[in-house]
Amino acid sequence: MTTATTGSTAAGRDGGSPGSASAGGAGVGDAVAVAVTDVPSTQVTATPGRRAAGRRNRGRNLLLALWLPVVLLVGWWFLSANSTSPYFPPLQVILQSVWDEWVIGDAKTQLWPSLRHLALGFIGGSLLGVLGGALLWRLPVLRKGTNPIVYFLYVLPAPALLPAMIALFGLGEARQVALIAFGATWPALLNTLDGMRGIDQVKFDTARAMKFSSLRTVTAVVLPGASPQIAAGLRASLQVSIILMVVSEMIAASEGIGYFILYAQTVFAIVTMWSGIVVLSVLGTLLNYLFVFAEHRLLGWYHGSRAVGTDKA
Amino acid sequence: MQVFATYTRAAVVPLVTLALVLASWQAVTVSGLFRPDQFPTMTATLQALGTALGTEALWSAVGATLQGWAIGLLLATVLAVVIGSALAANDVAFRSAASVIELFKAIPAIAILPLVILVLGSTLDMKVFLVAFGAFWPLVIQVVYGVRSIDPTVRDTARVLGVGGVRRFLTVTIPSASPYMATGLRIASASALILSVVAELVGGAEGIGRAILFARNAGVTSYPTMYAYILVSGLLGIVLTGAFFLVEKRAMHWHESQRNAKDNELGAR
Repeated sequence: MTTATTGSTAAGRDGGSPGSASAGGAGVGDAVAVAVTDVPSTQVTATPGRRAAGRRNRGRNLLLALWLPVVLLVGWWFLSANSTSPYFPPLQVILQSVWDEWVIGDAKTQLWPSLRHLALGFIGGSLLGVLGGALLWRLPVLRKGTNPIVYFLYVLPAPALLPAMIALFGLGEARQVALIAFGATWPALLNTLDGMRGIDQVKFDTARAMKFSSLRTVTAVVLPGASPQIAAGLRASLQVSIILMVVSEMIAASEGIGYFILYAQTVFAIVTMWSGIVVLSVLGTLLNYLFVFAEHRLLGWYHGSRAVGTDKA
Repeated sequence: MQVFATYTRAAVVPLVTLALVLASWQAVTVSGLFRPDQFPTMTATLQALGTALGTEALWSAVGATLQGWAIGLLLATVLAVVIGSALAANDVAFRSAASVIELFKAIPAIAILPLVILVLGSTLDMKVFLVAFGAFWPLVIQVVYGVRSIDPTVRDTARVLGVGGVRRFLTVTIPSASPYMATGLRIASASALILSVVAELVGGAEGIGRAILFARNAGVTSYPTMYAYILVSGLLGIVLTGAFFLVEKRAMHWHESQRNAKDNELGAR
């Protein structure tokens, strides 16, 4: 970092991240307002204008982003090629097993129950969280009253509830969905509440002066104003949901990818276990990137406006 | 007097709500809506909590969980600060490593749990490794962004004054990056607690997670104890998050973000 120009090429990238982290915690008096806002570091916002230079930069950045993962993979391949350690089989053997078990074989049937529980739990919990957050935003008395309880349920490590969920719902699918939904609710709820409270009061006054209907106020003021933080909350919810999906399959379960990996481990089928780990890692990564992609499509206007702002500054 | 009244009212509403929640817990369990083998009564659970708080078993479990949490988090923090500052100092290094870090951050840490159990067994090492692995990736990203956010004027002033090496790292780089690190640590602390509990539940390491599972396996009579342990794990979460919150407020009082927070708080009153 000796020249001033390195700073400006990076501006598009770090531009968005600093604010959201501290802004979540700042400016809110309630103890509940713990910023769960993860820093949106996966967002690469293109700097508008300067197209040709931008294209050249993009090519360079793409190369820079790709070479290390490729080198690591190749390194893993060759370093593990003659491995005799029972725990770390050669990468070639692992990938062969991924192909045999997950592409040709039946292991992929383990994915459907996992994804079904995840989808039901995540969507159900997020809906509960967003609606609950909106409700608490509208009803300050309820918000003050439930503050300690909501806070308690948010910081409670959700996997600890799994034995209780088994007691409550038995060994069926219901307890898995319920656990995932429970974990997904609180980050969504707190971020929704925080996002809605952060909307400038002037906007509401303007909406009232312009005689907006309540529906129009919601769609034109509340949702656009709070959606960036709601999205941050939902991403935190998704991450918790994935952990809970796997944990719930690792205890007293008989299907799912978590069960598959742990079962392979207990019978010392190390290569099979590795194949499960690879598939789960890819699945988790894909879901995360899918979310970021969807967020960018839906909130493109917001990231766009932020990028322009940082470009000026 | 006015202030006193405001504070009393602020405390009364949550207390009333808490009482209502506890009362409805008692109501749904005594009325038979939930069987005792599903959900024990509130009184039985609180009684079990009282008993458990006096036993050594609970405190050694809490201690074991805290130990895994603390060592894992410390390890991740030290590594993240060292590696993160090094990466932030060089644009090419940062851009090269960013994709790898993002990739590892997106991988759910729990995916490697069976492998870690296999290699390290049901030990503290296993828990520490899982916690450190899970906490490291989000932390290192925060450190990189924090160090890169350093005010150019401050950086240039330090250079002109000839402040360099370790001294610049400690007096300029770390303080500049600290608000980012604080946010990263708060997030990492929460996920470290979750991973500790998971390592105990699934991996069988000593701690509150294993205590909860053992209480469940001991049968219906110890269900109140199981729920009491779950409450303890929640209280643990409150203590850890609260501690971070206070430390951050104390240590960062000089920083802009905290000054603004204070102003806003005052303004809101």
